[in-house]
Amino acid sequence: MSAPMEVVLSADSAGQLWNCAVFDPHTGTNLLSYRGGNSSARSLTVLSGEYILGAQLGKNFINVWEIQRKDQLQQKIVCPGIVTCLTASPNGLYVLAGIAEAIYLWEVSTGNLLVILNRHYQDLSCLRFTDDSSHFVSGGKDNLALVWNLASVVQLDSSRTPEPRHVLSRHTLPITDIHCGLMGPQARVATASIDQTVKLWEISSGEMLLSVLFDVSIMSVTLDPCEYFVFCGGSDGSIFQVSLCSTTLSRDKTFQSDSEGNQVFKGHRNLVMCLSVSMDGTLLLSGSHDETVRMWDIQSKQCIRCINHKGQVTNAVIIPAPANMFLPDSRPAVPLPRFSRHLNPSEQGEGTGTGGACLRLGNNCQDPEETYLEKADRLHSLMCAVTDKSVFGDGENTKVRVSELEEEVRTLKKINKDLYEFSTQLLTKPN
Amino acid sequence: MTKKRKRQDDFHKVKLKVGKKKHKAENATNINFKSKSIHLPEQLKCDGSGPTTHRQLSIKDLLSQLHHYNSNVKQGALVGLRELLSSNPSLVEQHASVVLTEVAALFTDKDAAVRVAAVRVLRFVAQCIPAERVAPFFPLLSAHLTCAMTHISAGIQEDALRVLDVLLEHYPALLSQRPTVLLTNFLELISQRRLGGTKGDRTGKGNYALSITTSRSVTAQQWRLTVLLRLGHFLQAVVEERPMEDGVSCAGGIGIWSGEKGVVTPVEVSWEEQVFSKGGIRVFENSGAKPTLHSTYRLRPNSEPGAGLSEGLCSAETVQGFAGTLVPLLLEMWVEAMGGDRSQADHGHLLTEESMALMFQILTILQLLRRLVPQMDQQDMLDAWFRNLYLSDFKQHFMKNFPYSQLEVVRHKKKTDMKRGRQQVVGGAVAGGNVEPLALNVMLCQVMVTLSLRGRDHVAGQDADWLGPIRAFVTDALSSGGKLSSKHLAALLEVVWRMIVTQRSRAVTEELLQAVYIQYQQKNLGLTIRTLLLHFFSQLYIQEHQKQPHIARSRILARWLASLPVQLVQLGSRNPQLSGQLLQTVQSAAAWGHKDLLLSLQTHACSLYDPHEGCVVVLPVEQQQQLVQILYFLPAFPTDVLACLSQVCNAGRVSTSLAAMLIRTVYLRSPLSGWTSSSQDVPVRDVDYLSFLFSTLTGFSSESLRLLQQADEQGLLASSALSPLSVFTTPLEQFTHHWDVVEEVCHCLETLGSRTQCFEILQNAIAKNLCGLVVVPDCVCAAVLRCVPRLLDLNFLPSDTLLHFLSDCCLSMLSLLLQLEQSARKRDAVWEACFAALSTVPRLLRLVLQSLRVCELSESELPLLAQILSLLLQHTQLRNHMAANSALLQTIIQDLTRFSGGESREQWLTDLLYCYSVTMSTHRANMATRDIY
Repeated sequence: MSAPMEVVLSADSAGQLWNCAVFDPHTGTNLLSYRGGNSSARSLTVLSGEYILGAQLGKNFINVWEIQRKDQLQQKIVCPGIVTCLTASPNGLYVLAGIAEAIYLWEVSTGNLLVILNRHYQDLSCLRFTDDSSHFVSGGKDNLALVWNLASVVQLDSSRTPEPRHVLSRHTLPITDIHCGLMGPQARVATASIDQTVKLWEISSGEMLLSVLFDVSIMSVTLDPCEYFVFCGGSDGSIFQVSLCSTTLSRDKTFQSDSEGNQVFKGHRNLVMCLSVSMDGTLLLSGSHDETVRMWDIQSKQCIRCINHKGQVTNAVIIPAPANMFLPDSRPAVPLPRFSRHLNPSEQGEGTGTGGACLRLGNNCQDPEETYLEKADRLHSLMCAVTDKSVFGDGENTKVRVSELEEEVRTLKKINKDLYEFSTQLLTKPN
Repeated sequence: MTKKRKRQDDFHKVKLKVGKKKHKAENATNINFKSKSIHLPEQLKCDGSGPTTHRQLSIKDLLSQLHHYNSNVKQGALVGLRELLSSNPSLVEQHASVVLTEVAALFTDKDAAVRVAAVRVLRFVAQCIPAERVAPFFPLLSAHLTCAMTHISAGIQEDALRVLDVLLEHYPALLSQRPTVLLTNFLELISQRRLGGTKGDRTGKGNYALSITTSRSVTAQQWRLTVLLRLGHFLQAVVEERPMEDGVSCAGGIGIWSGEKGVVTPVEVSWEEQVFSKGGIRVFENSGAKPTLHSTYRLRPNSEPGAGLSEGLCSAETVQGFAGTLVPLLLEMWVEAMGGDRSQADHGHLLTEESMALMFQILTILQLLRRLVPQMDQQDMLDAWFRNLYLSDFKQHFMKNFPYSQLEVVRHKKKTDMKRGRQQVVGGAVAGGNVEPLALNVMLCQVMVTLSLRGRDHVAGQDADWLGPIRAFVTDALSSGGKLSSKHLAALLEVVWRMIVTQRSRAVTEELLQAVYIQYQQKNLGLTIRTLLLHFFSQLYIQEHQKQPHIARSRILARWLASLPVQLVQLGSRNPQLSGQLLQTVQSAAAWGHKDLLLSLQTHACSLYDPHEGCVVVLPVEQQQQLVQILYFLPAFPTDVLACLSQVCNAGRVSTSLAAMLIRTVYLRSPLSGWTSSSQDVPVRDVDYLSFLFSTLTGFSSESLRLLQQADEQGLLASSALSPLSVFTTPLEQFTHHWDVVEEVCHCLETLGSRTQCFEILQNAIAKNLCGLVVVPDCVCAAVLRCVPRLLDLNFLPSDTLLHFLSDCCLSMLSLLLQLEQSARKRDAVWEACFAALSTVPRLLRLVLQSLRVCELSESELPLLAQILSLLLQHTQLRNHMAANSALLQTIIQDLTRFSGGESREQWLTDLLYCYSVTMSTHRANMATRDIY
């Protein structure tokens, strides 16, 4: 059986059979399962394709598995408090955890606790990185979503407390879920809240682009990769699909299902807690408190598959299958260090003995990168060049090149033939 | 002969004889006619080119007369022009360019009367033409204005200010586009450039010196006041009309504090609007991580010729340059004003109206100068610059007198003691000469406070020498208990805000906030003042307390927050706007977990959510929604609050969607929802939550149900053999509202988890609370019938008590159904409930049929029974159930036929028998087919 491109990773609150399990999205077969404890909501994350991290429900530690050793807990990271949400940066360098009202940021390479951010007033409910790990968004039960710039947070300057880049404060009840779109710092962020709205924001300016009002509280939200649709999981078990392509200009609208894109997926009977869309934008995964994970075909809005769990589903996500997952003999490239519990590593005594100097580049020391517009220009010119060459191509060059290649193929064939003859002689001669 | 005769005939001689009448000559002219003149007024008017004045002068004549050497003619032409234009407004648009050009040229006329007339014409034209139409001619107008302002003759200079007044009144935006030239003109008006050689030794004072012209008709001080007044207006226009480059939005009059923190207002870009708008579009390059300085995008650059100059006042440097010249002059004027007083009044510093007005203008201009730069960081830079250069001067001149002028104020008040509180009517010589001493002092505070250092650079006690008196004054003014006008209060609050933010000392904060709080606690405050104070506190809490711990820890602020729920309760429905603002603050504070507020909220929850006169029912919809959202943050839900809430849901004064939201909020707070993972605090206990759901499901409190048992109202349908319960019919609105609420409750019950346990609880609750009743409201029946089948688990057997109650309900509802004609909605709902119960709950149908005893029925009830039966038989999905009870059914029908008299088969009986036979035959056919296979 060939390994699938994408896998479904899900966890429930009962944890009877396993803590979290990996399914094939197309057949629904259980491929792997990881045992030990159970994971709390929005806290299951894959760290650089090599480890799975999940915060224990109601306890103050994080379970860590190596992705290929499913039976054995690799490590338990003990934290100062109950972890309510957890995420690892897509580049695998940082781990963020929400513990009570504070955000803890660890550096994976050293295990140092870099900073504790105390800007929320109530418990954290969700943490998300942008796809280029340059920013992260935190949402809490104090109705606020904060956009942080990772570089400015990581600064060593201890005299000033890090400030979020934007404070998104238009929700009127606790935020339940956040989804970060693609495109790094130019991404759009969708936030869902109990106040029955889903709002779409821009990271770059921190402004609200759209607010959609529903009849029920929204517990989860996701965007498809093209950002054509927003999917919103309601507290009554329905999943709302909102089309972003509509031509109406109003910033606030009320959801009404119609024929053109705004639709409802019905099937769940309780809070829809997690949503995820596959890479090609055809499959929607939803996990609910009615103890099922459902797979939907987005085009036809039908439930394709239903995977029963033993408890309320806390995490369900479609991820690209990590390379190590199905190779039992592989090992992680980097061993996971011990995560420190205190801000200043020198207080801990151990761990500082290596005397390594910690070097972090400041925000301003880096060379000015290309702007996105310049990048886009470059890409465009590259694409144009390719099409120019292949379609209109300068005839002479191509012919010469083709003949050269043919020549090479011929030589290679000849060598191959010689090799074959030689080996057959060698094999047949002694007898 | 004949020839001769002929010739004679030709020349016939007329013989004239005496006494005979003379023959008329053949070529004589007949003069027997009379002539009359014809007057054609219409025709004459037509050939003239356009309308004329009463002196028959057309616009062309008038315009040409404007160049006449005689000033009387010119004046006459101007008066005529005004008359003509006012009688024919269409002419204004046709000839705008010529009129403006010609009239503007007369601003510098030698004759005063002509200038006055020209200004009048200009004022009239300005009223008629909107700004965008004048824009093309404006360079010309302002050139003439400049010319007049810098004219050598004093009279022309004075009248130039009148022109400026007109332009400021009607075209402030256009005028403020080219500030630089005008600003120097203003300087020239009151001062003269120092010649380098003569007074080079006083270079520190700037290179302008105040000038005194003896030839003017007014005193130098009055003249300066007039000029400063205009300068103040002009700067005001510049500040207000400047495009908001960084999107700082000052919403209305209350936007003074939003200046402290930029609020980015998102723009909807439509190119049509963008063509003419002054603001730029902000472009975020590379996510704004590295801000480019000139990222503001304009569709149309300033294409006017003077655009290069107009950029002038946007940067701090140019403002500094201008201020560097102006401020020394202002200081000199201040000193003169003070000095003049001293010489006048030997016993003290009684400020005259005039000098007070002058001082007020000086301070106004200083204040405006600071606001000239658009960006916040530049403003800070400018403040620092002012501080460096002028702090000692300001301290010396302004602050030295500040206590004195305070003393002046007291004396002044003594003088006009009886007038206090009323508007002081003082006839000032010049416009704007009427300045209250309080206004002067407040303005002084405003100016001085901006000089205090911000943030980290502040060293404790550094500015104490001059901030102390200001603080004392502010505290005094606020806490003295006097009524302040909203303008002064706004200014004072601004001072307080600034001092709190800059001082960063807890003692100072407490003292100032205490003063504001005293003001806030006054009774009978006007609405604007109340709003202002409220806004001050809520903004202080929402914006600043995150960054500044000394504000967050303020006890006054905490006390204010804690008092909000009480205020909400007291305010009731009297002022929804104020309530809305209060609620917004409460919501933020609750979301951020402010302990005092939550405690107070908890205490007053019962009165806030009272079902009869609580805020949640009396306020408009948006505020109701906010209140329901605040509910989420309530630390605990005791039983009395839940009882209130359940009644609120059913009272019908909140909409159904809001009631659903309320139920869902309580659901989310209960540990049963499973959303909140933290298990240490349980805001809603399970028992309470379930009883909340059950009482919402019932919709009637136990007392009202008990009352119903005794009451005999007209809405009551008496119990009979067909309807075992006597049904209390509720009004249609109440029924539908309750029906929708029940839907939400059912959903909540369904999601509880274990179905069996949930059903058991419900069964007990029904048995305990409802089963003994004789009178039952119809909505309760419907709710129970609807809820039970939805929760029923197949392997759970409901108890007999419940089943009997259900069958009673069902029968009563079915007989009610037949009496309902008026509302399809209600009929559908009732039938839906009955049908669901009958088809889902096992044995229920049998029980219903068993309870039908035909022998006990009266003659008139027989048709009803038949109708019920045929209704049940007609429904396809019930047929199988009916067929299962065929024996029972048969006896009933036999009884019916027996009791119905027999001799005349009536229609209802025929129908019933038909339905019965159809059901039975299909059933038998089904059975037969099943037997075959």
